[in-house]
This record gives sequence, C-alpha cells and structure tokens, in this order.
Amino acid sequence: MEAAKGNNNRGGSNQSDLSSVVVAAHELKSPLVLMRQLALDIASGKLSNEEQQRVVDQLVHVSEKGLRLTSDLTRAEAVQSVLFDMQPVNAISVCDDVADELASLYNAHGRSLKRSRIRALPPVVANRDLLRRILVGFADNALHYSDIDGVVELHAQLLRDKKLVRLGVRDYGPALSNKNWRQLVRNLGATQPVQARPQSSGLGLYIAHQFAVSMNGRIGAVRHRDGASFYVELPISQQLTLL
Amino acid sequence: MREAVRVVIVEDDTWLAEHYMRVLRRSGYEVYHAPHALAAIDVIDQVVPDVIVLDVLLTGTTALALLHELQSHEDLANIPVILATNLANQIALDDVASYGVKRIVDKASMQPEDIAIAVRSVVKP
Repeated sequence: MEAAKGNNNRGGSNQSDLSSVVVAAHELKSPLVLMRQLALDIASGKLSNEEQQRVVDQLVHVSEKGLRLTSDLTRAEAVQSVLFDMQPVNAISVCDDVADELASLYNAHGRSLKRSRIRALPPVVANRDLLRRILVGFADNALHYSDIDGVVELHAQLLRDKKLVRLGVRDYGPALSNKNWRQLVRNLGATQPVQARPQSSGLGLYIAHQFAVSMNGRIGAVRHRDGASFYVELPISQQLTLL
Repeated sequence: MREAVRVVIVEDDTWLAEHYMRVLRRSGYEVYHAPHALAAIDVIDQVVPDVIVLDVLLTGTTALALLHELQSHEDLANIPVILATNLANQIALDDVASYGVKRIVDKASMQPEDIAIAVRSVVKP
C-alpha cells in the first residue's frame, strides 16, 4: 500500500508556528532524556571502563542526532523563503554518502545500512545537501523502527514512465497499524508535522516534505507486512538528453 | 533459595533499555528486553516476569494494547507494571491502575537508580 504527497501548501499561521515549536520540543525530548540518563550513569562512577566508553559513544551519537534535527528544522523553515541551487545530482553517490555518514551510528546499534537495488541511474535535479538530509532522516528514523539486529536498506529505482528517480529507505520492523497508516496517508505532506507512527511526532516527515517540495519532488511511503519504506521522488535531469 | 526477580523492559529506545538493564542488573535483577509490544508478548509469555517496565509510546502496537492483552490472560493479569514515560505528567495512576499499573516514572526527571527503586517497591516480598 502506498501513499505520496507533493503539494505546495507552504506557509502557515501563528497557530501552526506554535504547533511546530511544540512538536519540535517533543521530538527533542527523547534524545535529551537519554543523554541525561547516560550522563548520570557516567557520573555514578559505577561503570566499568568498557561500559563507560560505550556510554560516551552513545552520548556522542545521540547528541549528533539532536543536532541534525535542529539543523534540519532550521533549514526546513528556511526553504520557504530561500532558493537553493539545483543541479544534476548523482543519486547513487548521495546514497553512498548517506551510508558512509550513518555507518558509525548503525554500527553502534549493532545494525547495518545496506545499499540494495541501486543500479545505474540518470542524474536527478536536486540540491545535493537537501537530498542527503532527506535520506539521512529516513535512515535515522528506520534505525529506530527496525527490529534489533535488523538490516535497513537504501534503495533507488528509475521510474522511467514518470521520468523520476525514487530513492528510499526500507526498514524491517513492526508493521504500521491500519489506523496509523490511514493517518499517514491522510496527512503525508501536510504543512504541519503529522504523527506517522505511535511514538513519532512526525517532524521528520514534515522536514523531508519541505525539502522535497523545494526541489519539485515529493515524499511517499509504502507499508509492508514487515515494516515500511519511506521514499523521495525527484525528476530526472534532462541535461544529458539535450547533448 | 529464591530465584532472582525477573523484570521485562518494554522500551523501543534500545540504548535507554540498555541503560535500565545496566542499572537493574547492578541491583541483582534478572532482566529481559523487548523493543516493542509484539515482541513483549513473546518475552512475557516465555519469562513470566515478576515486574514489567513499560514505555508508553511504542513502535507499532501501543502500550495500552499490550496492557489490554495482559489483562486478558489470567496468569499475566496480576504482574505489576511500571510505566516509564515522557508523558508522566499526562497520565494519572488512578486511570491506569485497573491495568495493573502500580507506578509511573517520569523519564525526564528520574535518577538512574529510580528504576530499581520502583521495581523494588512493587515486587511482592
């Protein structure tokens, strides 16, 4: 089952601005709570050297996640008023960058981020940094929702008839309930963050949507029996065909 | 000799779960982890714990659905549950007591040892 949205319903009232702040605060609460617990654990002096090193590594990764979120949120708000450079981008190399960037985080969780179904693709018209941020967000999210010891896949495919490239992240975990899926389908791409999964504020999807729309793309999701895929579709660059 | 008290932690943040496990093991508890409600049902069935530490906002099936499920099984209905949640200020113990919830711990303000103190407080002597 699939859902996608790419409407241009940008902007918002003071009320929606306030909602975004509340959602952002909620989203940041979890990493802050974890960081506090880990710091207190270190301060207790009860950890072995090995445990202490592991907890320090976790602190670094969790704080980086929080920083990514704040950075992306700032950027998502800015895309409404700023024009970004758009250029032909090699989507496969962006997938490589994402896999490299998150390798340490995935390793710290004992999981792996694999690139699959990625064959030769035409370049897409995109802003490389925004595209990377969308995929990092999806992959970061998938890490949370995939089963322990699970694999998360980065995949890319050419939708030839639509002249689009679809780049996505597939997780293997508990399936979305019908209720959550309906909510996701209804709200994907809304101007406000929407709750895609029970403990999610939906801020990640909201950010991804903002980035995708600013590149004339769209985000979407596919529900599987054993997890979900979240993807972004972007137009193929026509530059090479004009040569 | 009495066996160690068994605690099942249902928490989808694996590093927070790892933290709880570290604290509880230091206090001598036998600890098991389930990352979501579906896995929890299997683990609880297998372990039949003395206490369940349950996050509220879980991946997939919600904590409330898990609590309903536990109440429908005679042998599991009386296992004391501790809610460890970021929503502590939005949940009244009276509202969830009928689901076997004995304590609510606020993740945002708790000290690491609070999870062990909460477990100790609900375990039958």
